[in-house]
Amino acid sequence: MKGSILAMNKTGIVYVAFFALTVAVSLSSCRDKRSTGLEYARNMYDPIAYNPDQPNKNFANGQTAQTPPPNTDPVGFVKYEYANTKEGYEAAGKNLVNPLPLTEQNLLQGKHYFTVFCAPCHGDKGDGKGHLVQIEKFTGVPAYHGDAASSRGGMMKDLTAGKIYHTIMYGLNNMGSHASQLSPKERWEVVMYVQKLQKIQ
Amino acid sequence: MRNISLIIRRVWKSAFMFTALSVLIVSGTQAQDAAEGRKIFKEKCTSCHSLDRDMTGPALQKIVPTKSEAFLLKWINNAPAFIASGDKEAVEASKFNPNAEMTAFPSLTPEQIKSILAYVKVGEPKKEGEKAGAAVQEEVSGFSLAGVVAVILISIVVLVVLGRAIKMLERLILQKQGVEIVEEEKVSLVAGIGGLFKNKKFVFFFILCLVITLGSFGWMGMWETGVHTGYQPVQPIKFSHELHAGTNQIDCQYCHSGAFKSKNASIPSLNVCMNCHKQVQARDSHDGNISPEIQKIYNALGYDADKMTYDKSKEKPVEWVRVHNLPDFAYFNHSQHVVVAEKAIRKEKGLKPNEPVCFACHGPVNTMEEIYQYSPLTMKWCINCHKAAEINGKDNAFYTKIIEAHEKIKKGEKITPAALGGLECGKCHY
Ligand code: HEC
Ligand code: HEC
Ligand code: HEC
Ligand code: HEC
Ligand code: HEC
Ligand code: HEC
Ligand code: HEC
Repeated sequence: MKGSILAMNKTGIVYVAFFALTVAVSLSSCRDKRSTGLEYARNMYDPIAYNPDQPNKNFANGQTAQTPPPNTDPVGFVKYEYANTKEGYEAAGKNLVNPLPLTEQNLLQGKHYFTVFCAPCHGDKGDGKGHLVQIEKFTGVPAYHGDAASSRGGMMKDLTAGKIYHTIMYGLNNMGSHASQLSPKERWEVVMYVQKLQKIQ
Repeated sequence: MRNISLIIRRVWKSAFMFTALSVLIVSGTQAQDAAEGRKIFKEKCTSCHSLDRDMTGPALQKIVPTKSEAFLLKWINNAPAFIASGDKEAVEASKFNPNAEMTAFPSLTPEQIKSILAYVKVGEPKKEGEKAGAAVQEEVSGFSLAGVVAVILISIVVLVVLGRAIKMLERLILQKQGVEIVEEEKVSLVAGIGGLFKNKKFVFFFILCLVITLGSFGWMGMWETGVHTGYQPVQPIKFSHELHAGTNQIDCQYCHSGAFKSKNASIPSLNVCMNCHKQVQARDSHDGNISPEIQKIYNALGYDADKMTYDKSKEKPVEWVRVHNLPDFAYFNHSQHVVVAEKAIRKEKGLKPNEPVCFACHGPVNTMEEIYQYSPLTMKWCINCHKAAEINGKDNAFYTKIIEAHEKIKKGEKITPAALGGLECGKCHY
């Protein structure tokens, strides 16, 4: 009789231990990655001043980052005078010259920005065969050199600095504007490098 | 469990390979022509034509079957000349788009044009195998979870059965020894468990288990309070870094240019997405329709993909959920780490030259389908790196300026806080 009770208790103990283990394992394995987990003093994480990318009830459109009011310019902002039209393009091509001196340092900078912002489509050598074109996700990118023609007339290798700058500002058809990603100085550095690529035979 | 799911996956895969292969063999020769045609088409025609929808030129799969091959050979070879020759059908065709005319391709041979037409007929090669493979993989993960539960259930059953068997055996032995057996009263489950708690050994064991489990949970809980490692919220658009930074090899700076100039790395605004997604619509993988995820970008901008126009009044910004977030009282500046400290951090974390410095803190972002927090972002984490990293002052514009300023201080020349960066907005504001 005694033996039998002991046997029963042993299995009971095994059950309970097993149960505890299962619960522990299942609880520890399913930490929810969709929540931040336990937090102490959440308000320490929420800024009192507004971050630029935060919602903001004080403005009509609910955003913190606002465009400047009409007819105002941020300090140091240089306005781009040429309109996004055929005439603007031709005028920019005639009047604008690169304000930066042609130096090794500027070319190196230009090369870096070109590699990051233009090469995915235009290719490292400006041959219109960037990575996105090679994997067939993006098509119709002209080369800067050889006998490629610009869709606005003339040869790609003859584009002037002003026309290239104008293209970075406004984009063209399937190419978007890159003005929000590059400052004016950086744009001119890129233009300098593109003009070097135009000379490739 | 792993093995079973692996085997199932393999069986699936080979089944798909087999069907794909048999289809390929049947359409073998045609496929070869079509493949060549596809290459020429992508190179020369996609800027104006798509297979199944009108662009600058008409949708080719609709127009080509209605024309004779002889006509098409002439048209594609030199459309302007063909129209100028006064051919009635050609003049009729040129009315499709009065604002544009088709480029002449005199360099294309009749064979090449035929291969283009073959491709137009066959259409884009289907990627059945790949898609089905992904679905199987998803099933498998669900499958293995069910497997774990099954294993647990089975082991409980086995334990119960074993317990019964032991009892039976004990009874048999006792019977053999001639001991009289009093038939046990049937105890209810509740009473049975109640009885268990009268046993001292059991109670001790139970409490021990409880203390260990609760203790370890409490300990872990306290360590992880306010530490968001692994946090991966659901984002409003299924934007994949694996696809963009990995497969497409777009540099982090293309989208997070702020990281190199300011405190904030910044999330790109949607016009940056539109640089590519005006054209890239992932129609291949959505039966010729715009991907619903990319449509969300269009909706947020009020962009009409058919008319290619923006409607400002329909704009509705995307609300990305922030992943990395230090408490507001800690100041972390990206440009200080990404630009000034790049060499030091690369050396400290042993990054390869082709990996962006961001990986030191954000982990292998180019393999993340959905972004998650890789590092703990605790103060200990900051401090440990600051104690270990070795600053390299050579060829570092930041230090060249600092050393210059210090030289001036040494010589007793006039120096203002402005020379030490005291005019940078970020030194006072954040
Ligand atoms: C998303 C792909 C993409 C990116 C990134 C891109 N381009 Fe382009 N680019 C194009 C396409 C497509 C065209 C052809 C547009 C057309 O003629 O319809 C083009 C055309 C051009 C032209 C010729 C414009 C003309 O007058 O014919 C210039 C110059 C140019 N790009 C410069 C740049 C520079 C500089 C950058 C980097 C800041 C850049 N592009 C980034 C896709 C891209
Ligand atoms: C510069 C843009 C452009 C390019 C590049 C282009 N097409 Fe066209 N295509 C057109 C236009 C526009 C039309 C409609 C006719 C018109 O309005 O002149 C057209 C019409 C056609 C037609 C229909 C003719 C008919 O009978 O209605 C076929 C077939 C065709 N193109 C094939 C091709 C092929 C194949 C290529 C590549 C080798 C190609 N096109 C490249 C602009 C283009
Ligand atoms: C095509 C644009 C693009 C590229 C390229 C890109 N990102 Fe992002 N990144 C985004 C967008 C959009 C988000 C916000 C959505 C999200 O969190 O998934 C984001 C979010 C992030 C976040 C999380 C931000 C937070 O909320 O805490 C990190 C970290 C990040 N990116 C790092 C990187 C790194 C490192 C690279 C380079 C390997 C990179 N990104 C390349 C667009 C991009
Ligand atoms: C430099 C080019 C580029 C930029 C910039 C870019 N993408 Fe993409 N994106 C792609 C390519 C290429 C694909 C792959 C499309 C395919 O598979 O056909 C893609 C695919 C996608 C997809 C998946 C579509 C699907 O259903 O398969 C989403 C969602 C997406 N991008 C969102 C974004 C968002 C949001 C941004 C802006 C933060 C962005 N992309 C910026 C090139 C880009
Ligand atoms: C030294 C570690 C470190 C490095 C290197 C680093 N980050 Fe971060 N990143 C952080 C921390 C810490 C935060 C949280 C900042 C906060 O909440 O104030 C963060 C936040 C972010 C965010 C979201 C918040 C924001 O600032 O807009 C993005 C996006 C991001 N990082 C991208 C990048 C990219 C891209 C790079 C590489 C160019 C990079 N990070 C390099 C530590 C780092
Ligand atoms: C991977 C290593 C690493 C991590 C992680 C790291 N840092 Fe740094 N941090 C550096 C290095 C290296 C420098 C030195 C940069 C320089 O040369 O000025 C630095 C500099 C700084 C500076 C400027 C110090 C000064 O006086 O110039 C601040 C502030 C700072 N880090 C804050 C943080 C915070 C806050 C965190 C955690 C959220 C953090 N860092 C995480 C490597 C790191
Ligand atoms: C030497 C430290 C310092 C620098 C550098 C600095 N600021 Fe300030 N700024 C302050 C202080 C202090 C105040 C608060 C003045 C007050 O409350 O009257 C302030 C106030 C402001 C305000 C008004 C905020 C409000 O709520 O009214 C703005 C906007 C501002 N600064 C922008 C900038 C910008 C932009 C820069 C960089 C060009 C900059 N500051 C550089 C110290 C600085």
